[in-house]
Amino acid sequence: MATRLSDPIGFELFKTTLLSIADEMALTILRTAYSGVLKDNMDYSTALCDAQGRTVAQGLTLPAHLSSFPDALAATIRRYGDRMRPGDVFALNDPFEGGMHLPDVFILKPIFHEGRRVAFAATICHQTDMGGRVAGSNASDSTEIFQEGLRIPPVKMYDAGEPNETLFRLLEKNVRMPVRVFGDMRAQLAACHIAEEAFARLIAKHGVGQVSAYMEEILDYTERLTRAALAELPDGEWSFTDWIDDDGIDFGAPIPLTVALKKHGDQMTADWTGTSAQVKGAINNTLSFTRAATYTCLKSILPHEILCNAGFYRAIEVIAPPGTIANAVPPAACAARGLTGFRMVDTVFGALAQMLPDRVIAASEGGNTGVTIGGYHADRTPFIFVEFICSAWGGRPWADGLDGNANLFANMSLPSAEVTETEQPLEILCCELIPDVGGPGRYRGGMSIRRAYRLTEDEAVLQVRADRHTFRPYGLYGGGPGKPSRNRLIADGRERELTAKITMTMRRGDVFIHDQPGPGGWGDPLERDPLRVLRDVANELVSLASARDDYGVVIDASALVVDEAATARRRAELRAARGWATPPVISR
Amino acid sequence: MTTSSSRFRVAVDIGGTFTDIVFLDLDGRLHIKKVSSSVEDYARAIVDGLREVFDETGLGGRDVVEVLHGTTVASNALLELRGARTGLITTRGFRDVLEIRRLRMPKLYDLTWEKPPTLVERRLRMEVGERIDARGAVQQPLDDADVERALDRLLGQGIEALAVCLLNAWANPVHEERIKSIVHRRAPGLPLCISSEVLPEIKEYERTSTTVINTYVLPIVRRYLATLRTGLDGIAVRGPLLIMQSSGGLMTGDAAAARPMHIIESGPAAGVVGAQALAPRIGFAKLITFDMGGTTAKASIVEDGAISRATEYQVGGGIMHGSRLLTGSGYLLRVPAIDLAEVGAGGGSIVWRDAGGALQVGPRSAGASPGPLCYDLGGTEPTVTDANIVLGYLNPTALAGGAVKLNAARAHEIFQERVAEPLGLPLAEAAYGAHLIAASNMMRAIRAVSSERGRDPREYALFAFGGNGPLFAAGMARALEMTRVVVPPAPGLFSAFGLLYSEVEHHYVRTWRRPARGLDPADLAEAFGRLEAEARAQLAAEGFTGAAVRIARSVDCRYQGQSFELTVPVTAGASPEEAFGREHERTYGHRAGADEPVEIVSLRVVGQGLSDRPRVPERVNRPGGPDMAPRTPPPGGPETAPRIDRPGGPETAPRTPPAASRRAYFGPRAGWIVTPILTRGDLATPREGPAVVEEYDATCLVPPGARAKLDVYGNIVMEV
Repeated sequence: MATRLSDPIGFELFKTTLLSIADEMALTILRTAYSGVLKDNMDYSTALCDAQGRTVAQGLTLPAHLSSFPDALAATIRRYGDRMRPGDVFALNDPFEGGMHLPDVFILKPIFHEGRRVAFAATICHQTDMGGRVAGSNASDSTEIFQEGLRIPPVKMYDAGEPNETLFRLLEKNVRMPVRVFGDMRAQLAACHIAEEAFARLIAKHGVGQVSAYMEEILDYTERLTRAALAELPDGEWSFTDWIDDDGIDFGAPIPLTVALKKHGDQMTADWTGTSAQVKGAINNTLSFTRAATYTCLKSILPHEILCNAGFYRAIEVIAPPGTIANAVPPAACAARGLTGFRMVDTVFGALAQMLPDRVIAASEGGNTGVTIGGYHADRTPFIFVEFICSAWGGRPWADGLDGNANLFANMSLPSAEVTETEQPLEILCCELIPDVGGPGRYRGGMSIRRAYRLTEDEAVLQVRADRHTFRPYGLYGGGPGKPSRNRLIADGRERELTAKITMTMRRGDVFIHDQPGPGGWGDPLERDPLRVLRDVANELVSLASARDDYGVVIDASALVVDEAATARRRAELRAARGWATPPVISR
Repeated sequence: MTTSSSRFRVAVDIGGTFTDIVFLDLDGRLHIKKVSSSVEDYARAIVDGLREVFDETGLGGRDVVEVLHGTTVASNALLELRGARTGLITTRGFRDVLEIRRLRMPKLYDLTWEKPPTLVERRLRMEVGERIDARGAVQQPLDDADVERALDRLLGQGIEALAVCLLNAWANPVHEERIKSIVHRRAPGLPLCISSEVLPEIKEYERTSTTVINTYVLPIVRRYLATLRTGLDGIAVRGPLLIMQSSGGLMTGDAAAARPMHIIESGPAAGVVGAQALAPRIGFAKLITFDMGGTTAKASIVEDGAISRATEYQVGGGIMHGSRLLTGSGYLLRVPAIDLAEVGAGGGSIVWRDAGGALQVGPRSAGASPGPLCYDLGGTEPTVTDANIVLGYLNPTALAGGAVKLNAARAHEIFQERVAEPLGLPLAEAAYGAHLIAASNMMRAIRAVSSERGRDPREYALFAFGGNGPLFAAGMARALEMTRVVVPPAPGLFSAFGLLYSEVEHHYVRTWRRPARGLDPADLAEAFGRLEAEARAQLAAEGFTGAAVRIARSVDCRYQGQSFELTVPVTAGASPEEAFGREHERTYGHRAGADEPVEIVSLRVVGQGLSDRPRVPERVNRPGGPDMAPRTPPPGGPETAPRIDRPGGPETAPRTPPAASRRAYFGPRAGWIVTPILTRGDLATPREGPAVVEEYDATCLVPPGARAKLDVYGNIVMEV
């Protein structure tokens, strides 16, 4: 690694240009894609990589795709190596050969200059459907990869510019909405094309040798920034375990995720040894996805100017033994592995919170809940409704967790209730914050979202993938854990509680209500400013009872003022009653 | 400028620190006045400024035909959270729509992200029992008692304005209208906006947010416009007051007081309208406008005579976080606005070296205070303007004709110490690097409106204005392989000029979801007819009828299953389906097969009120000859300029004559070159670069190898 830049101005101009190419690829997909998954949730990523497949510049899109390209390119290079030709385009989605889960389709294009491969344009998009037993190819209750859809190892989608008819015809027969899938694939191809043109202009301007040198320098520069930032952190080893309730197949069998962070000098290792063996349900990770979760946490606590590229990855090693849920082997099912990624983010933050008490937030809502309602209209045409809800952030060492906000790991949007009602046989009965759901703290957990759905067709299958029903989002440094998630069904005027993971039949008029779990709080709730408690009470986000029993704040409900004397007494009482003098690091 | 028979149109553009007033008489003579904005009372500054002009010139209010006004009153109220204490009534279960937003955030990996404070706190958001379904049928009647209770509680908490947004009110407004009548009865005079009137469009968050913003700024805007009108009446200005909208059209003061949501981005719109008006005259069908001041740079596009518009934008979220990929940073407003890309880069942007050893410019800015080092007002960090001083691009002794004295030595010294030495580079090279990196950052705004929209910037001319635009334009154009740059007269004042070119215009939209195939034309005509009637009624109230009214219809369509729409014009003969297919092909490079169903989502109507004469004469004459520059603040931070109160008119004010030449640096290859310092008039004879054109309000750089000349309208046209 070089220690300084040879040309700090030319370098910065080149770096900005390269990043803007990666962003322009991302914008091309945003502009030309068909599906809402891509447009509203930006469940896709783009990058420019060097001839060896190392990511140099990645577009600003989905954290969960961090570091997904190196494996995809390595698998493609392994298979095609020197047999790549100008005009070739490669596609793959097989989690066991470079992919992540089947809906994520990589489209990769080698870029040539005078017959020599000089770079790759790389894209990954979550496709609407890749076949398999459930529409959307996203089911959490598949138990082997073969149920999940069409597996594509690295293959040529275009061979020297000629389309691979075999591949396109197989796709057309295997996916449920070929028009939409092909539309989104065209968007990926357009992004690769834009990158190829922009890269040719760079070479025309700087010469191929200088372009390669600059790309190498970007990796060194990023590594230097990363290591300089790591060097400032304390040395040592911190470990943490969090749990997934169960995999939805073996009900009630908790799944431990364990990470040990080892930091020495300017190098860090995240070791997932000790994590559960892979499971039957479709929540198994590829190693690349485990890395994405790990890197997301580290990027969040390191300086913002550090780029997401191979230089960053050099300074941080991620280890996960094969055969675990963190690095699954065939025939593991992977489609709903998002849940494991979210919980890994909670796990890494749990370890980091011990290392850097003033920089890390308490556990957020635990990631999104997937709700699927599908069936047939009276005229036998199918309908399928899929929605992923995330909610709120854990309390922070400097501020409350955000109420009603996307998760750090997947910056998703929430579909409009009105649009849903025009397109689906459903009515959305509420979309609101749940009072008291966030863990109490000096800085409380954010308030999560409740959604309720009423079916207006005769019958449908309801599938829900929720979690944090048994293992609640933890609080930090005295902050309390958040409330568990909750599923309810109102049928025939009777309300009943359901489990976190559901597959069941809904009938006309039935109402399904989902409460997202509450994030944890940060810091001793008895040290929260009583006026902030009062404001939350006035806003009906915290109840009078919680103000009194969790925060020790006594409020005169009719005048909406804090009774200071009663508050001092109540806080002393609560302090005496609890079993600790210094706050516990973790509460769950 | 003393003939009292003259008839003047007056444009008033309010900025944060200065108010520009431009008088244009019907023969094309132009006069300029610049006064300090009185922040507590913007209206007073305008009226005082006008009165001063009258005193100086012998003109009177009766000579003013109309007053055109671009204002930041509404956006300031919003950004500084000084709007009315607003209540919101909504359907049970949907109290938090405003706060949950679209859930997405504009930043990744940032644990410090905070949502902008919600405009209506939760305690002021009340729910009522009612339910209308997506087809507009009443499922659960409105509970009047609920409404009364909610209203009592809100009034008890001292609200000053009330917004109402019920679920599915786009499909049937009956419950909102009922609430309106209850409020009128119970709280007459309380400013009230209901979503089905403000924005009858599907999507509850977008409609709620827009309705709330309109309500929140309404009392302030209404008060401001009333004060201004009274002030104008007081100096006998009887002509209409027309306000610039975010869309680039004008609306009457009365209309703006009812729908202030349309004037939030009033300020930056006018310059783009000016460029649009000039484009055909100067023979460029395609322009990219580039407006750079002290803290931000903005780009937009004008093509084939049309401005590019967005159907929604985020107020306060305009500064790009490196790209346009991430949205959600500001307050969502779903009304048409000129599509501007903005980056936080200007003369005040700070130049620094990062931990990895790379040279960086911005995003922090020295802003108005303390400003660049060379202003000697306490700034301690090198800025882009300081780099331009080091490079010899800016006059090293003074700007604004001597009004602002500069300390170039200080800029040299600290730039050397803070930037050049740590980088191990000669001073000039480091400054040149800062200039290039600033340009590179701003090019992202240009790319955002061109290549990121599938347009090739090489087919466009760069139209540069603002105090700093002409200094960077040629270099940026070269880097983007654009060949032409146009710098209009008085580039620092161009926004005020733009007002003079604008027409009265209103935009209407209504959600109307139908399959495009098998559409009954009578149904479509009837739905359009209702929107059109609304437009005609509004225009009639503003004095436009018959041939003075122009109506344009368009539809938002998509392929069924897509989650976004394209707007296509509706013309006699062509089906919306076919027009959509063509537009899809043009925008995205492909269209689906003929059997792919197309869906209409919304109908749009634009009503224009056309004035009975050209808005601006063919040629504008500034007294004092073509080389006379109007008076505006210096580049690098107009905010720091002293108060300038000089009337326009024959050139009498003393000016520092520009030095004939000075050394300027053009990169390691070209090195230092003795560069002639010119006035705009000198370009009547075409010149080769390098040259620096110094004007009162801006400095234009003609780099080596570029060629500059004046066209017949007084624009500088550069071939780069």
